[in-house]
Formats: sequence, structure tokens, C-alpha cells
Amino acid sequence: MPRIGVFVCWCGSNIGGVLDCPQLAREAASFPGVVYSVDYKYMCSEPGQNLIIEAIKEHRLDRVVVASCSPRLHEETFRKALARAGLNPYLLEMANLREHCSWVHAKEPEKAQVKAVDLVRRAVAKAALLQPLVSSQIPVTKRCLVIGGGIAGIQCALDIADAGHEVILVEREPTIGGNMVKLDKTFPTLDCSACISTPKMVAVASHPNIKLYTYAEVAEIGGYIGNFKVKIKQKARYVDHDKCTGCGTCWEKCPSKVPDDFNGGLGTRKAIYIPFPQAVPNKPVIDANHCRVFNNKKCRVCEKLCPTGAIDYEQQDTFIDEEVGAIVVATGYELFDWTKAYGEYGYGMYPDVITGLQFERLVNAAGPTGGKIKRPSDGKEPKTVVFVKCVGSRDEAKGKSYCSRVCCMYTAKHAHQLLEKVPDSQAYIFYMDVRTPGKGYEEFYQRTVQDGAIYVRGRVSKIYQSGDKLVVRGADTLLGRPVEVKADMVVLATAMQPAAGVETTARLVGAPVDQDGFIQEAHPKLRPVETHTAGVYVAGCCQGPKDIPDTVAQASGAAAKVVGLLSHSKMSTSAMISTVNEALCTGCMLCEPVCPYKAIEPKVITERLPGQPPRERTVAAVNSGLCQGCGCCNVACRPGAIQVKGFTNEQMLAEVDAICL
Amino acid sequence: MKQIVDRLRQEAARLLAAGDVAMVIGYAKGTDVARTTPYFATNEEEAQNLTWNPFCTNNLVKYLLDFRFEDTKLAVVVKGCDSKGINRLIYDRQFPRERVVVLGVPCGGLLDRSKVLATIDPGAELQSVEDLGQEFVVRTDHGEFTFAKEQYLLPKCAVCRNPNPVISDVLLGEELPVAEEEKSDTFDDIVEMEALDPAAKSAFWDRHFNRCLRCYACRNVCPACNCRECAFEQAVPGWQQEACWLSKKASVDNNYTFHLIRMFDVTGRCIDCGECERVCPVNIPLRKLYRKVIKDVQELFGDTTPGLNIGDGLPLTSYRKEDPEEFM
Ligand SMILES: Cc1cc2nc3c(=O)[nH]c(=O)nc-3n(C[C@H](O)[C@H](O)[C@H](O)COP(=O)(O)OP(=O)(O)OC[C@H]3O[C@@H](n4cnc5c(N)ncnc54)[C@H](O)[C@@H]3O)c2cc1C
Ligand code: SF4
Ligand code: SF4
Ligand code: SF4
Repeated sequence: MPRIGVFVCWCGSNIGGVLDCPQLAREAASFPGVVYSVDYKYMCSEPGQNLIIEAIKEHRLDRVVVASCSPRLHEETFRKALARAGLNPYLLEMANLREHCSWVHAKEPEKAQVKAVDLVRRAVAKAALLQPLVSSQIPVTKRCLVIGGGIAGIQCALDIADAGHEVILVEREPTIGGNMVKLDKTFPTLDCSACISTPKMVAVASHPNIKLYTYAEVAEIGGYIGNFKVKIKQKARYVDHDKCTGCGTCWEKCPSKVPDDFNGGLGTRKAIYIPFPQAVPNKPVIDANHCRVFNNKKCRVCEKLCPTGAIDYEQQDTFIDEEVGAIVVATGYELFDWTKAYGEYGYGMYPDVITGLQFERLVNAAGPTGGKIKRPSDGKEPKTVVFVKCVGSRDEAKGKSYCSRVCCMYTAKHAHQLLEKVPDSQAYIFYMDVRTPGKGYEEFYQRTVQDGAIYVRGRVSKIYQSGDKLVVRGADTLLGRPVEVKADMVVLATAMQPAAGVETTARLVGAPVDQDGFIQEAHPKLRPVETHTAGVYVAGCCQGPKDIPDTVAQASGAAAKVVGLLSHSKMSTSAMISTVNEALCTGCMLCEPVCPYKAIEPKVITERLPGQPPRERTVAAVNSGLCQGCGCCNVACRPGAIQVKGFTNEQMLAEVDAICL
Repeated sequence: MKQIVDRLRQEAARLLAAGDVAMVIGYAKGTDVARTTPYFATNEEEAQNLTWNPFCTNNLVKYLLDFRFEDTKLAVVVKGCDSKGINRLIYDRQFPRERVVVLGVPCGGLLDRSKVLATIDPGAELQSVEDLGQEFVVRTDHGEFTFAKEQYLLPKCAVCRNPNPVISDVLLGEELPVAEEEKSDTFDDIVEMEALDPAAKSAFWDRHFNRCLRCYACRNVCPACNCRECAFEQAVPGWQQEACWLSKKASVDNNYTFHLIRMFDVTGRCIDCGECERVCPVNIPLRKLYRKVIKDVQELFGDTTPGLNIGDGLPLTSYRKEDPEEFM
């Protein structure tokens, strides 16, 4: 018979204010197997934990029930307490009296008390059947893969590399830098974006611990925490970067002009190009879609002119295998395509209705206009500019329900830049709210207001061209009257959304995405840089919209987690994972496709039965490094051969019985 | 029908003589005129005992499992309905495709034994049967009888959609034509049951489950029930014997648990061969249970009856982006 101890926690008044904890402890004493029970103000506190440890020793307890808060919060705490008392930490069962009872039933304490008794009885019934569990050890490859070379990926790679671990940084564009390098100045300090990001890009390229793959993508990921196997696809650049010196002759002479995506389509680049002058690496690639040679036309100009003979039209995609112990996803964002959703703003028909990122390029000295604000249609300097916020953000009908977090601030920045650069200009900002939580942010916004920006609270209902003006119609909801502005240019603050291809990346790394397609963090508060897959971390805007300070902070946070993981040469896996009863397993392998972590594989065993020749048959095998103990396989298995340790059928049924019978 | 029998014996003899297979699982003459018995021919001589007629009701596919750990090849005779069971076993990895030679019979339907026996003396000697399309002509030493299919077919055969085997290595007759409108199942029986109010439904199943003997015949015959050890027969710890939901006791509530668990286990997997219902000694209309989930799965996931292809992923263990998620 087990010797169970029950520890009822008041959680101050959180539980104690609703439930009669001493009565609960007395009642628990009568449950089968319980030899000791007690209540205490804060079980998780030092004295509370000591109380458990002492009781284990004094009463020779071999199972412990803590009736307190959610196991998500303190299961680890109490497991450690058990371990300190010399007990296997998995001989703990928790009853959640706070989230499941006192908080939700605060208004009906009598009924809550009855439920609390049931919850404790349930925990005791399961505790009686708990088995000691041990975790296994797996080796750790001390290298990290970072996917995406925006500021998040750059910062993360640098931090990990500085800590002494090798980093493989994979960026799909020809240069690292992401969206940040496209920005002109950055709020709230207005320092030049390129000045603060390009030194970091150079640091990445020259860091001895960083292996950089640009114009590359992750093609396959196998394995598990500590032991991932990655296949990287190096897209053909048609330029041999070992020979190329980046002299620039080729892109100066290339006759094929293409709209420049780096500049948001404003201006052109060549078919052989570097995205911008400070690109890292500072060597070109050929855009095969637009190169004449690949379109069966005569040219080969670059080949003829290249002094080092680096041009190679025959180059093929290549694949590289790498092994890593951790993965950081930092694939960033792109802007919501407003032209498909906002007919009232002209579906992109009017050239002078542009996005915030295009505006960044217009004010940027390295941009298509050399930093002079000129409107795209006729190159005139716009005097009256309307900024429309929340285009696609906070608009469930047309775009996204969420707030993109940076638009309030960059719109204030844009208005400020306009008023500063264009004499006698006027900035109108249509907004729903102005959200400025952040250090120095409100002050920054107020400064723009003082600069003379006119903030109009209301949505814009229509934009149309009239002569060389854009008529912007909206409502001022504060004054309760319609507003009409004749503008020279309109800048839309469009929503941020996960960069294209995020689902593919998410599938490759085995991390779920949320309803908006952002990578789901393991816990919004307590595990913000981890994902649900062990060994896979997340940083920057692929997790949700955020500005550069938050992106960098999160990137360093993810780096700290990675460094923590890589600081051990072995790691222990979770003990509460699936296990296969091979005698029952039919080898149908239906558990294999349902496992979201690809933790199950077939394995052939040799079975020896008395009086029969040994025979081989297939059974399922669980990889303890990959299994997260989610239990999906349990459901798929008809004979009940596969079960999660700590959640066996027997244990669950005992719980159900304790509550229902 | 005579041609099929001849082809069958010839083919079986050839396979056995050449050593291609160690055994041919088929049918032989049974204990009365309207019965056949499963037969396991292991040599050319025995192959001459094999037969085929509209009384070959058993689905023989499940017998393969008795030989699953041997390395010999086996041949098995299947009708259209049974053939889906082969796919079931292959998909479930219970029998490798390479080890089975499928002798497929295009089947014109099976006669309802009880109805036939109301006309023919059970002791009569069956001489031959002829399939005339709309009717069977059965010749015996007691005379010749004509059975109109419309009246005498087994209920499952009256609505059969797969008279031709969906998988076969040797087809022992001409493929039968299937009219386009017959290809999809209308589930009339299930629609009718769904229309009942909950109390009536409950009374219906109470009445039937009350009679279940827990003989496990349905499970044993079912090609989808292929666990090594049935959950209802696993050794359970002492405390579970009494209170366990997996009790072996034959009582209404425990029988419900048994049948519903079996129903969930064959969800998306039951090939609708109807064997369970046929073997049930107390005539529980089991197919109604499984056809209900076939219908539900079809409505939810748009899948056809399982077993039509080996490659069909199972709806409940495969994920597609379009899958409905109304519970989220
Ligand atoms: C108009 C505008 C103005 C802004 N102004 C400011 C400002 O003034 N101050 C401020 O703090 N913030 C500002 N921001 C926000 C800032 O841009 C972001 O916070 C920051 O760029 C996020 O960095 P990131 O690395 O997460 O994403 P990104 O910059 O998007 O980087 C992601 C990188 O990953 C790469 N990638 C994507 N998918 C893959 C893949 N599958 N494989 C390999 N690589 C991949 C991309 O090519 C890209 O290089 C502004 C945003 C906008 C839209
Ligand atoms: S589902 Fe169950 S029986 Fe099938 S392979 Fe997995 S563990 Fe074995
Ligand atoms: S519990 Fe099963 S389904 Fe879940 S991760 Fe482990 S093996 Fe995969
Ligand atoms: S449940 Fe019945 S109808 Fe379905 S496959 Fe099994 S025996 Fe055939």
C-alpha cells in the first residue's frame, strides 16, 4: 500500500479565501492510502517546501499530492522538493485548486468546497498508481542553426557565436539584413538604421564561429533536440563567389532592368545585382527570371566583362548537410498586401498611394530618390501627405484582427520626417488609437504633434484620384463630422504578417503556428522564446509583430536559451514520454503519422516464444529525444500498446473513477 | 458458375503444383445444400474440392492472419466485398502483399440461406448453380429451383457496390458491370435510424446489446479487428476487474462499452463486408453501428468506404488542411 502525503495550499487568499483548506486536509486524511495531510499558507515558499521534505522523511511518504495551483506553474518546484527529500520526482501529483476551483467558483464557496474534495480525491487516486520515472540522456551537438538573417537572426547568431558556439545562419535573400536595412531612421531615437545594422552584418560575415549561407533555404530537417540533421539548399547564384571580388562591373553594364523589390518596386535594379550597396555578402547574384541568357536571348555581357571569370550560367542548386543541436527561427515579417483587400483605397491603382516601407525608401539617402521625398507618379515633392494607420491591422473583415504594434510609431516618425524635409508641408494622420507603450515613445509622438502633424481620429472610407490630387475621405469621430483632404500622396501603415513561407518553415522545424500564422511560442509569458518543439526557438517578427528593440531583446533571449542548451554535452530528456508495450503492438504504425514530432519509427524485433522458432516482427519505437509526451499516439493505438508514462490508462481511469463513482 | 469453379480448381492446382503457394484458402461443399465451408487446400488433389456458388458467404481473408509469421505464400479466394479486407490487412501491415495471391471472383450476389432452405430440403445434394443475371438456377438431386435475386439475395448483396474484387492477382471470371447510380452508397438504413428520437434509439440498442453474449465472434471474423491481444482480453490489475470499463461481463452497460469501443476502433477502417453481422449468433444488427460511422466519416472527410485502395490514408490518422475543425 502506498504512503501518500497530501499538502493543501492556501495560496494566501487565492485559495484560502474561498476554500476551507484545513477541512480539505482533514477530509483528505480519510482517502485510501493517505497517511499524512496538512494545509499551509504558501506551499511553494521555502518553509512550505521544507514542510513537504520533512513530512516525507518523518512519515516515510512514498507519494506526494500537492493541492495548490496549476502544475504548469509549480510542478517543477515541487518535483525538485521531492528530489531533495530523496524521492523520485515523478511520484508527485498535483490538484489544481486555484485555476480549476477557487478562482472560477469564488462566488459559490460551498459548491467549490465539494469540487475541491473531488479534485483532491482524484489526485490521490492517481498518486497511488504513480511509478518512479527516469529520464534518459542524449548527446548534444554544440552548433546552432539560425533561419533568417534579419536583425533578429543577426543578433541571435552573434550572441551565440560570441559565447563560443558555431552558428549556421541561413538567409534566403542574396543579403542578410532583412527589413531593418530598408528603413531610413529608427524611432524613437531617429538614429540611422543602416548605421546601426550594417556593422552587425559585417560582424556576422567576419565572425569565425558563423557560417553564413545567403541565397539559401532550409530544405529538410530531421532528428531532434541536440541532434538535428539539416539539409540546406544553396540556390544557384550563377556567380562564383570564390572568384568574384565584388568590383561591380557586371551590374553596371547589365542591360536588363528589373523593378527593385528592395526599394518596394520604386526604381529599378539589374538582372545581376546586389540588393543595396552595403549588402553582405557584397557580391552579386543573377536573377535568372530576368537575365537575358536564361530567357534565350543574346547577352553574356557580364561574362565578357567580369575580370575574374566568376560568371557561371551553368551553376546548379547544391545541397549541404549540417548537424546542429538547436534551431532558431527568425524569418521575420512582410507587409500585408493591401492592394487585394482595400478597394476603397484603389486596389493599388493610384501610384501615389504607397506603403510605409516604400516611404522609408523614399526618405532614405540610399533609396531610389536619393533621400528626396518625391511622389512616384510624377516625381513632384508632395506637400500634403495623408497617413492612414491600421490598414489591415485591427480590421478582421479585411485583414488581421491584431495590432501590428509598430505602425503608430513609424507613422509618427514618417510625419516628422515629412515636416522636417519638405518645407510648408502638411501631414494628416488618420488613426483609431495612438499606442505608444515603450521607453521614449509617447514623447516621440508628442514631438510629432508639436511639429504640426494633424491627427484625425477616424477611418478613411475612400481614396480616389482627382486630377493630380488624391481625395481622401474619412470621418473625424471626435468631432463627429466628415473630413476630406486633398493630398499629394497617401502612405498606408499596412499590417505586418509572417514572411511568406512561414508554414513551410514551421512544418520543417515541427513548431505550430497560431491563427495568424505566426510561430507559436511555448508560453506567452513564461516561455516566450521557446516553441513547443524541444530545441527549437523563435526570435523577432516571425513570432508576432514587434519593433527593433523588442526584436533584439527577444533574439538575445533566444540566444541565451540556445547557449544554455549547448553548454552541456549531454542532456536529459523528459521522463513523461511515450513507451511501447511490444507484446501488444501489432506494428500497424498508425501511431507514426499522428505523431506531430515524428518521434515514432518502425523497428524490427525478434520474438522468441516457447516451442516456436524465433520470428521477426515490426513494432513501433519511440525516440526519447523527440517525444514530447503529447499523447496523440495513445489515441491512435487500438490495442493500447503505446502509452505516455505518467498518464497511463490505468492512472487516468483511476482518476475518472475517483471523480465519478 | 461452372466455368468459375473449373478455373478456380485449375488455377489452385497450378499454384500448388508449381509450389507458388503453400495453401489455397477457399470454399468447399458444406454440411447442407445451402452451406459451404472454408477449405484449406494444400495439394493438387485437394484443389479439386474447392468450389464456388452463391452460398460462399464467409470472408476468408482473416484466415491469412493465422499464417502471418510464416514465410510461405498463400492464395485466398475473395469476392468483391472480401477483397477490401485484403487491402485492410496490407494497409494495417498485418500481411505483406508479396505473400498473398488473390484469387478474385466477380460475385453476382449471395443467396439468403434461410430463405433458400424454406424451399429446398437441406439434405438435398447441390449439383450446380447458374447465374442468369436476374436469378439463380439451383440444380439439386431433388430438382431444379429458380431464385429471383430481387427476393432471395442477402440484404448486403442487394445493395452491393463492389461485386468485382478491388484487388486481385487472378480474376476467375468476367468482370460484372456496375451501374453508375449503384456506385455510391445512399445509407438508407442509417438515415432511417438517425431519424429516430434519442429515446427510441436508446431502446433499440438496449434491446440488442442486452442480448450480446460476448462471444467475440464479430471481432474474430473482422479483418479490421487485428490486434494481437484484444483490449477486452488483456490481463487487468485486480482493482480493475470489477469497476473497469473494459469488463468482460456480459451486461448491457459493459456490452455497450465493448461495442462502442469496437465501433471507434473500426472507424475509418471498417470495409463494410458485413461479416460481423452474419456471424452474430443473436442477430445484433452490428452493421448499423459501423455504417453509421462510415457515413459520418464520409460526410466529414469525404472519404469513400475504406479498403477500396491500399494507399488510402485513414481519415482519423491523417491530417489535411481542409479537414473540418468545427470544434476549434
Ligand atoms: C515601415 C516600417 C517602419 C519601421 N520602423 C521601425 C523603427 O523606426 N524602429 C523600430 O524599432 N522598428 C521599426 N520597424 C519594425 C522593424 O522593421 C522590425 O522590428 C524588424 O525589422 C524585425 O526584424 P526581424 O529580424 O524579426 O525580421 P525581418 O527583418 O523581416 O528579417 C527576416 C529575415 O529572414 C529572412 N527569411 C524569411 N524567411 C526565410 C526562410 N524561410 N529561410 C531563410 N530566410 C528567411 C528574410 O529574408 C529576412 O532577411 C518598422 C517596420 C516597418 C514596416
Ligand atoms: S498504433 Fe499501437 S499497435 Fe500500431 S504500431 Fe503504434 S503502438 Fe503498435
Ligand atoms: S506522445 Fe506519442 S504522439 Fe506524442 S510526441 Fe510522444 S510519441 Fe509522438
Ligand atoms: S466491422 Fe464488420 S463489416 Fe466492418 S470490416 Fe469488420 S466484420 Fe466487416
